[in-house]
Amino acid sequence: MKISTAHKIGRFFQYFVLILVGIIMIYPLVWMVGATFKTNAEIFSGIGFITKNPTLQGYIDAVTQNYGGDISIWKAFVNTYSFVLPKVIFTVISSVIAAYGFSRFQFKGRDFLFGIMISTLFLPQVVLNVPQYLMYNTFGWINSPLYLPLWVPTLFATETYFVYQLVQFMRSIPHDLDEAAAIDGCGPVKILYKIICPMLSPSLVACALFQFMWSCNDYMGPLLYVQTPSKYPMSIFVKLSMDADNGFNWNRILALSLISIIPQLVVFFCAQDAFIDGISAGAVKG
Amino acid sequence: MKKAISLALAGAMTATLLAGCGGAASSSAATSEAASTAESTAASTEEATASEAHEINTTDPIELTISWWGGDSRHEAYQKALEAFQAKYPNIKVSATYGAWSGWEEAQSTALAANQGADVMQVNWNWLYQYSPTGEKFVDLRDYSDVIDLTQWTDAAKDACIVADSLQAVPISMTGRIFYWNMNTFKEAGIEEVPTTYDDLIAAGKAFQEKLGDDYYPLAIGQYDRMILMTFYLESKYGKAWVENNECQYTEEEIVDGLNFIQSLEDNHVIPTRPSMIAAGFDSIDKSQEWIDGKYAGIFEWDSSANKYQGALADNSGFTVGEEIKFGDKANGGFSKVSMGMAITTSCQHPVEAAALIDFLWNGEGAAIMGSECGIPASAAGLAAAQAADAVKPLVLEANTKVLAFVDMPLDPYFESSKLKDTTDGVYTDVFDGYSYGEYTAEEAAEILLDGVSEVLAAV
Repeated sequence: MKISTAHKIGRFFQYFVLILVGIIMIYPLVWMVGATFKTNAEIFSGIGFITKNPTLQGYIDAVTQNYGGDISIWKAFVNTYSFVLPKVIFTVISSVIAAYGFSRFQFKGRDFLFGIMISTLFLPQVVLNVPQYLMYNTFGWINSPLYLPLWVPTLFATETYFVYQLVQFMRSIPHDLDEAAAIDGCGPVKILYKIICPMLSPSLVACALFQFMWSCNDYMGPLLYVQTPSKYPMSIFVKLSMDADNGFNWNRILALSLISIIPQLVVFFCAQDAFIDGISAGAVKG
Repeated sequence: MKKAISLALAGAMTATLLAGCGGAASSSAATSEAASTAESTAASTEEATASEAHEINTTDPIELTISWWGGDSRHEAYQKALEAFQAKYPNIKVSATYGAWSGWEEAQSTALAANQGADVMQVNWNWLYQYSPTGEKFVDLRDYSDVIDLTQWTDAAKDACIVADSLQAVPISMTGRIFYWNMNTFKEAGIEEVPTTYDDLIAAGKAFQEKLGDDYYPLAIGQYDRMILMTFYLESKYGKAWVENNECQYTEEEIVDGLNFIQSLEDNHVIPTRPSMIAAGFDSIDKSQEWIDGKYAGIFEWDSSANKYQGALADNSGFTVGEEIKFGDKANGGFSKVSMGMAITTSCQHPVEAAALIDFLWNGEGAAIMGSECGIPASAAGLAAAQAADAVKPLVLEANTKVLAFVDMPLDPYFESSKLKDTTDGVYTDVFDGYSYGEYTAEEAAEILLDGVSEVLAAV
């Protein structure tokens, strides 16, 4: 009896602390939802999320503003996904191929090349901006209607982080499987997509999800390479009206941000199980 | 063996890191070289044609690009003005690029490095010094004085845009700092008139503390505001500009005097201390509970920000544009600058038509549409047109007129260098926050400030 009471009290405190911390962690998000219904004065005057005089103006403005027909929230969505989807697909394909090469084949200079590749992980994007811009400029890709500078590089496994992650994961897949497949008559390409890829799938989902979220949130890339307002993606559209000099309505910005992350949330929740598997599997085995 | 591999790897990493930086530097150097040769040829052809009158092409199809940053209402004004321009010149098509300020400078400077900037560019004043110190990125607008009526700008305004002996931009608007007061709170404290002298400020500080309580202050200023107010004070007291000929004109003792002035405001309950402001946790005063509720009853801000601060107040009936305060007898001091300009890039293929666009926007019919969207127009004709069209915010105009009538000291273009102004690790922040926190004595703070400013000026 006594033990079970003590046990219950312990449980109570465990849950109490967990729930408390959980609320603290989630509160900013809840506040953001509440703030979309507030006016500026109310946003800055308290941390409560319940609104005294709720207004839908933020949402109305968010979906109706179209900058003289140049760009609207819907167009911005279409623009965003028209380069994010190829980017995600090509990143996954090219990274898998590069990782396969590094983890399964012995060739001259492999370790050296791998070292060079890893070292690019440490290159901050800022130092690359100007040279890359100059290069794309000579290709005539600046302001390309197809967003070429944003997704073409991913065809060449330029996302080192994902290549590295996949290499680590592939190392944990026993070579016996490859050998068995080879005996059964598989060539290297077939081994990759029949044997390795299915086993890699959690890690592939993780790659795709990360790339999806990073690309959707990327601000500087589109700002540099997209100069036609009608081609602006969501990340730029959300910020278009933020003018520090004259002030602006925060509820609209927050409503816009909220709407813009809905597709990301949907994708995340759909892929959640595989995603969590992907991260932890990579962590333990890698 | 492992050691050798790790050594090799480390070597490769540093090599790529260095290669990355070197690549960036050398390629940008290469482009600037290319640009300067292109510029010299362009300059020689321009010289040849400068004597001839420029004629705006009204027949052949011409495409121009323009870029600006701003908020919704500015985007809208520009779009309308551009429509009007295209209606006037049906053969010219203007396509626009616009966005918010955040990241805009990085994007535009990258484009300038590749000579890919828009033909007509809204520029921040310091860009002229930062990205075109030798005049290679923007054309000399004096070459197109028969298209742009340059007489509409005062010489002082134009001089500020002359870099490397080239008028690289025309000022769109001038801006400066002025006091704004929430007179409702002042009246609660028994004060009916806006403060116009230092003594008024001190008296207001006392009245606020006695009648309203310790939470009420007649003025609230951040660390950068403090720097501006201090130079304001020093310039009026000593009658010399803060920086001239790339050298700070003030000695450490004089700066100590300025810091003591700021301290006297704190001691007399005129301004809250930095620790108490930082503890309140807002990033700009318009977002602070104290300003919204009227506990901070005054600010020292840009003329163009009037509406933002007015709009933030819960009860804005008492919001008043104050008078500049004369702190000394030798000069007025004060703080005004070109807030933004409009330039034609050297990569522009149709500079004459681009010049016509600038003239249209700031001297002609466009000015009536632009109104005070980019600040109060610095062009006389532009201001008249904007006023006639009732497109000028009266509050901003009042503040702007007061600032420009008062200020008599030029501003050093490097005053706002990010190394000094940065809100986390800038020199001004270090000095004024450190001083208010009591980390530095006035002497130490003065030394740090002088060293910081000299370092920035020496790098020029």
